[in-house]
Amino acid sequence: MSDHFTSRDWNALDDDEFRHIAAAFFEQHVPRHLRHLSRRPRWAEVRDWYLTLSGHGWLVPNWPKEWGGMGLTQSKILVYLEELERSGAPRVMDQGLMNIGPLLIARGTDEQRRRFLPKILSGEHTWCQGYSEPNAGSDLASLRTEARIEGDEFVINGQKIWTSVAFDATHMFALVRTDKTVKKQAGISFVMIDMRQSGVTVRPIRNIAGHEELCEVFLDNVRTPVANMVGELNDGWNVAKALLGFERIWSGSPRQSMLALLRLQKLAQASGKVHDPVFADKFAQVTMDVLDSAAAYERFALIMRTGGSFGFEVSMLKIWATETCQRVTELMVDAAGDLGALSGDVDVDGEEMDILYPFLECRAFTIYGGSSQVQRNIVSKNVLDLPS
Amino acid sequence: MQENYLSEAQQQIEMLRESAADFVGRNTDMKRLRERRGTLPGYETEHLRHMADLGWLGIVLPEAHGGLGLGFSELTVVLQELGKGLMADPLVPVAFAARVLQHGDNEALKQSLLPQVVDASLLPCVAWQEGLGGIETAAIETRVEADGSDLLLTGRKRFVASAAGAGGFVVSARGAAGCGLYWIGAQAAGVTVHHEQRADETPSGVLEFDRVRITPADVVSAAGPQGLAALDRALDEAMVLAGAEMLGVVEAVLQMALGYMRTRVQFGKPIGSFQALQHKATDLYVQQELVRAVLAEAIRVFDDAGTSATERALMASRFKARASDGGLRVAREVIQLHGAIGFTDEYDAGLYLKRALVLSAWLGNASAHRRRFAALQQEVAV
Repeated sequence: MSDHFTSRDWNALDDDEFRHIAAAFFEQHVPRHLRHLSRRPRWAEVRDWYLTLSGHGWLVPNWPKEWGGMGLTQSKILVYLEELERSGAPRVMDQGLMNIGPLLIARGTDEQRRRFLPKILSGEHTWCQGYSEPNAGSDLASLRTEARIEGDEFVINGQKIWTSVAFDATHMFALVRTDKTVKKQAGISFVMIDMRQSGVTVRPIRNIAGHEELCEVFLDNVRTPVANMVGELNDGWNVAKALLGFERIWSGSPRQSMLALLRLQKLAQASGKVHDPVFADKFAQVTMDVLDSAAAYERFALIMRTGGSFGFEVSMLKIWATETCQRVTELMVDAAGDLGALSGDVDVDGEEMDILYPFLECRAFTIYGGSSQVQRNIVSKNVLDLPS
Repeated sequence: MQENYLSEAQQQIEMLRESAADFVGRNTDMKRLRERRGTLPGYETEHLRHMADLGWLGIVLPEAHGGLGLGFSELTVVLQELGKGLMADPLVPVAFAARVLQHGDNEALKQSLLPQVVDASLLPCVAWQEGLGGIETAAIETRVEADGSDLLLTGRKRFVASAAGAGGFVVSARGAAGCGLYWIGAQAAGVTVHHEQRADETPSGVLEFDRVRITPADVVSAAGPQGLAALDRALDEAMVLAGAEMLGVVEAVLQMALGYMRTRVQFGKPIGSFQALQHKATDLYVQQELVRAVLAEAIRVFDDAGTSATERALMASRFKARASDGGLRVAREVIQLHGAIGFTDEYDAGLYLKRALVLSAWLGNASAHRRRFAALQQEVAV
């Protein structure tokens, strides 16, 4: 396969040129029937799309070229993700691409890299993230899933929860307790587990939007070679923290609230609410909140583009972006009036739309990836320098 | 945050920031500010001379008229710093008026007035609002009638910031040919100035004009369909400037609260260790950072010669809404974070709240700008 999109030195282009190419690539290749889905598709549905990306060398914007990535700079990764989002492309199994891949490249052994990275590109391995546990959510470091060493293997027992799409994953990277006698953060290791063995049980959890993406994963005498540990024994907490680079700005991007605003606008037009002055005032408020969220995001993106760095102040992005998204969907339910009590696709004067789905879906945004309250703790302590 | 490369323009901005911060550091005197309350002209005239010496009155004015020919990025950084020390007056009202003159089409008047603005020998301000106020520039009843080749202007203007020290006014009025803008010296026959007191006890001018004579040389912008265009444009700019001052107010007052939270002990601990207060403080920080981010976007729009009048108006309203709403919220909640001491006149937080009240309402509060933003968006959509 060789065309205009074939691997080249993308970083030699300016961001706008690259944006045009990325937009054209996605427009040409994202399968029509998978665009703008209101649910996360199963692996079987998106595997071909994943392989298309891989075949063109467009699967991993953030890996270096020597490992089959596009080797993009931070700012071009943002452009890539923004254009991918705009194209309406479905979400694929991306824990391997976004998390464990970059981690192995940065902190893995050569042997781990050679063994795992090619199989992520080929789609043979799909990954999920095993962090949270029933009693370790915001207080993640209190996790209790235990790994004890037997010969050259870990034997793992415990339970993970809120694991996205675990039923489609062949592998899990997980935080496990390897020392119970020390401060909780100091007794955790980071391990990679093959899910295709007896002792691994995956049970989907139906969420309030009616979807089954999140899972419980039970680990009962599950084995993994000690060679599958990333970093040193009992250094897993620091390994996991190293993963949180890029996610911190991306989780505060305005994309979800912009999408919600478009839905609200559509509802307002179809229902005639646009002519209601009380609604118009609230709509102007949330519109400005979303645009201001984009302005704040742009400020951090600009620092990234010019090679600067930022610290915990980036947490304000996620707080504002996710809470704004919720306000937009709350206004949508309010503006819908009686229709706001109807489930699923609803007829709004000839237009079909699901009014409750955006409202329900975005309840999760302020919980996962560090809840709004955890983000506020982070800002208070690290940015505002308030005492603990 | 760290940017590892500063362009020449950014270096200039940083120099201005340092110079303004230094000015605030040397001249902040809250005792003097309290003594000045309720007196005219509402600012320290000696500070004004220093500001003129530093070139700050002419930052955005063309070099041909003695200005520095710089942009909004430079002027806003000075206002932000001065806002921290509650000493930005009368820079924004003067810049507003100077920009109306500059956007107008009377070249001779620009030649004679703008250099005097730059050295502070004559301060202009804009008399454009009437009655109960509002941001619709054409909602005016002040009239001009022809008298030979001259005009006679009659009416009452209100909410004129920095009127007390002004040497003249740009006045909007309606005549047979539509609305236009006129220059009137403060000493002209038929002009009466008195003052209402603003929340921070600085004066707000109420101007009476009784058949004030305007010669053709004093027409800033001739009556007609575009007669108020210079005012509309400068008004959008002034909204950005007022919002920049508000950012400085917010930064200073939030720092004050954080300092208090670190040291004030109750229940045996600094109150800043309590999560309820930490989360409130974080929400205020988020508002501060939003004002900062939207200001950065507004500066890009206003320093770009290629933007349309509608783009500028949408941007100005969005920014002023955020600055008015966020700024007032921060200043208000900071009183609560302090507890009873914050309610006293001797503590400085109240001075900042009152300045925030002034800046929030002046040139349109958040509600007014939401309405304007919504109306503009409708226009764009049609």
